[in-house]
Amino acid sequence: MAENPYIAFKKVSISFDGEVVLRDFSFEAPAGKHTVLKGESGSGKSTILKLLLGFLKPDQGSVMFKKRDVHPQRIRQRTAWLPQDLNLGDGLVHEVMQQPFSFKINSSLDKVDFSGTLEALGVPKANLNKPFRDLSTGQRQRVGLAICHLLDKPLLLLDEPTSALDQVTKQKVADVLLEGKRTIISTSHDPFWVELADKVIQLD
Amino acid sequence: MEIINITWLQLGLGFLIMLLPAWILWRYQTGLNAKLLTSSLRMVLQLVFVGYYLEYLFKYDNPWINAAWILVMVVVADYATIDRSELKRKFSVLVPIFIATLLGIMIIDFFFLDFVIKLPKFLAAQYTIPITGMVLGNCLRSNVIGINAFYYRLDEHQERYQFHLACGATRTEALQPFISVALQKSANPTLATMATIGLVSLPGMMTGQILGGNSPLIAIKYQIMIMVAIFSGTVLSVFLGILLTNRFVFKETDMLDDSILKK
Repeated sequence: MAENPYIAFKKVSISFDGEVVLRDFSFEAPAGKHTVLKGESGSGKSTILKLLLGFLKPDQGSVMFKKRDVHPQRIRQRTAWLPQDLNLGDGLVHEVMQQPFSFKINSSLDKVDFSGTLEALGVPKANLNKPFRDLSTGQRQRVGLAICHLLDKPLLLLDEPTSALDQVTKQKVADVLLEGKRTIISTSHDPFWVELADKVIQLD
Repeated sequence: MEIINITWLQLGLGFLIMLLPAWILWRYQTGLNAKLLTSSLRMVLQLVFVGYYLEYLFKYDNPWINAAWILVMVVVADYATIDRSELKRKFSVLVPIFIATLLGIMIIDFFFLDFVIKLPKFLAAQYTIPITGMVLGNCLRSNVIGINAFYYRLDEHQERYQFHLACGATRTEALQPFISVALQKSANPTLATMATIGLVSLPGMMTGQILGGNSPLIAIKYQIMIMVAIFSGTVLSVFLGILLTNRFVFKETDMLDDSILKK
């Protein structure tokens, strides 16, 4: 157990339409470390991230951020999140990448290097002028990862970040995303990604 | 020029032409004949009722009665907007859309009737009722398109909305692209009408004025003014409708309360 947990779930239960997704679930994630939630599809991994982001409220138990109950709007100012199926609409790649940086909270970040980051993640910079919807699933995933990385938030929440990537690209993603001392909570059942974790939580 | 009155008998004769489309619809088994009958009956009954009512309204020309009639029209438009937008008749939707439609129509009416035309009498029936009716009818159509597009797209593209919230966007910032699409979809039909008006069709108000014996030059001025009023009124009421409804249909998690959707 981390002595000073950054994130803590305490006996959290949640169900949808009578189906229990999490029951008395507890875990702690230390600051500055990479924690992986490992489990099969339907084990509640994505739900945990949505509870953390305050999109869902637990039926029972508490979700803590820095020892206080999660306040949705406050925690979202400190996070970047990669959902499993990222669809950013009809715009060009550079347009959809620009959007999060137009939000007031991110306005201090200027001159973010879209093309350099995309290339580091294995996406040719020529793709910046393509419609986002024309990209492959793996490329979309990396556009999302690039946005998460460039937002420079202290907490990264990544939902199956390597699910659509080959071995070479996975390594590139790891090199870019896992640098530095930010706190990362990811969900995965990819042995490559799980191996890179500082802490692994196995979900039933 | 004196306007030629149509007698009830002449109007009945006019209906004979309906036999042609009715036969075509029947011949090709469209199943629309029953609907044609009920729709025609409804049209006649509703317009006869409105005709008699407006006679009374014009006779007394009392601003309070006129205002009450506008309120009735707004309430009917409110329910129609919600039903046709595929939303449920909930307090959280009914009240904001009623306020938005009423506000939109009040701003347009006061601006055009009192500031532009400068009616000698406040809410004079001859101008207030037809202009309000035309603007409101178009507001209804645009509200349905805009409000349906906004809430159903938001529900369909929830992950994009959540992604932006998770990037630190305020609710207003994360909703901005959805509002933009709703405004585009609702404003486009009126813009298309404005671009082709006079070329493809002669609009109703202008036709009415010309039939009433007015000079076409006066008629076009009224038509231009009513198009400006319609466009402004529709954008205003869609915008206010979404803005006001949004205050009541989101949970504290910033997620849409999808129990308002009929899906």
